[in-house]
Amino acid sequence: MIDIAGILTDNILNILLITLGGILISWSVHFVPVGGAPAAMAQATGIGTGTVQLAAGAGLTGLVTAAAMMNVTDSMLLVIASGAVGAMIMMSVTMIVGTWVYAYGVGCPPASAKAKYDPITKDRQDLYVSQGTEGHGLPTVCFVSGVIGAALGGIGGAMVYYYLLIIENGLAAPDIVGIASIFAVGIFFVNAVIPSYNIGGTIEGYHDPKFKKFPKAVFASFIATFLCAILGVLAIGGL
Amino acid sequence: MSVGGGGGGAHAAIPHNNIIAFGLVGGLVGIYAAYFLVDMLGEYMSFLGALGAICGIVWGAAAVRRVANYGLGTGVPSIGMLALGMGVVAATFGLAVGGVAGPVIAVIFAAIIGLVIGVLANKVLKMGIPIMEQSMTEIAAAGTITIIGLSTSMVGTFLFDEVMTGVITTGHIAVIFIAGGLAILHPFNANLGADEKQDRTLACAFEKGGIAMIVAGIVATIMPLASGALTILVGLAVWYVGFSAFYKRVKRDAYMITGSGLLPSKEELE
Repeated sequence: MIDIAGILTDNILNILLITLGGILISWSVHFVPVGGAPAAMAQATGIGTGTVQLAAGAGLTGLVTAAAMMNVTDSMLLVIASGAVGAMIMMSVTMIVGTWVYAYGVGCPPASAKAKYDPITKDRQDLYVSQGTEGHGLPTVCFVSGVIGAALGGIGGAMVYYYLLIIENGLAAPDIVGIASIFAVGIFFVNAVIPSYNIGGTIEGYHDPKFKKFPKAVFASFIATFLCAILGVLAIGGL
Repeated sequence: MSVGGGGGGAHAAIPHNNIIAFGLVGGLVGIYAAYFLVDMLGEYMSFLGALGAICGIVWGAAAVRRVANYGLGTGVPSIGMLALGMGVVAATFGLAVGGVAGPVIAVIFAAIIGLVIGVLANKVLKMGIPIMEQSMTEIAAAGTITIIGLSTSMVGTFLFDEVMTGVITTGHIAVIFIAGGLAILHPFNANLGADEKQDRTLACAFEKGGIAMIVAGIVATIMPLASGALTILVGLAVWYVGFSAFYKRVKRDAYMITGSGLLPSKEELE
């Protein structure tokens, strides 16, 4: 049987930082303009898919870029920055291509229904919202908000991965990478779904009134990630 | 719109407690049978693990059906991904610390994580779904059984060293993640609506379980301690039976089935 108390006291900092990573992921989802199925039909502002798919896409890209950086250096800051940049690139590409599709394919201008003026460009929004819809496309503020969200999510995902990877254990190098990444993916999915239930599926970005609900999701993620982090540290540290 | 659900409890012809027993007992029996019979009779018995996973998949799909029927406020897929997210954490932990008792420990810890997330969903996020706590517990446990069952049929054992090198390090865990997750989330997602029927949804879950089993069999062909041929054959049989049952129920529930013909050609339109 493994020495539970010993592993937990040795790795208490890792558990706390993994939990912090989970909280960042949970917070980051509130920044991402998730439109869900209505946005896929250009009837709501945002990217036309669900929170989990978007968070998973950005998070996994962040994980891959973080892991690639980890091959070259052990510096924590470089690994986390690399994760953030990977996630930001993925989210930006998704949003810019989505905007092309809305503008040139569907034929609707990017417009937000939640704000009368775009908080960044100060452009009038409500005149361009088609009747019967809740906005469409990705206005500038949504795009910027999405990039911020992707950065936070990438930082969170990379932190979870990095602090699982540096736990002392008796595993060979490829094995520890495998188990740390699958744990990170599991924790990522849990923390992507919790905020998605908090915002009820759709949000436009930090200017959306629903954004103010984020403390509830952050608190829920704190408890859930803490539990998962203990299990992860025990599993990896005990090997 | 992907919100789904009629905003109330789901009607069920098969009592839900029977499905819980089927998933939990069937899943664990399948996993342990695969583990012991591979040692005793030979590696071809590894297909039993995937049968255990199918029990877990059907249970998971039934639990998703019950909870998503209240309307989650977001797409049904989220709950399937949550199931596998919780499941993969619990399964890896249970197998890593548990040895032979691994699957049981994994299911217990999955139930704890699920219960905590269910309580958080109702008390903190205020989702207000009365069966949320129970359903989350079930979904997490079902996801764990699915992961361990498919892993067992891939490598022929659930002992952590083999699962580690054969499933996790090679990346086959990603296949399990998506095949198992889809099998749990897809049945209700595909069948939801006013005329959703329990037996049709569960038939769809069986069929998806068959696909996951075939995939596990394909992976098993390259594993030293497992044999893939029987897993693929049984998987094909399960898929055929599941698909026929699903198709029969689709025809039963459809108001009318009619051929619409091909799209009219350009000349016919003029």
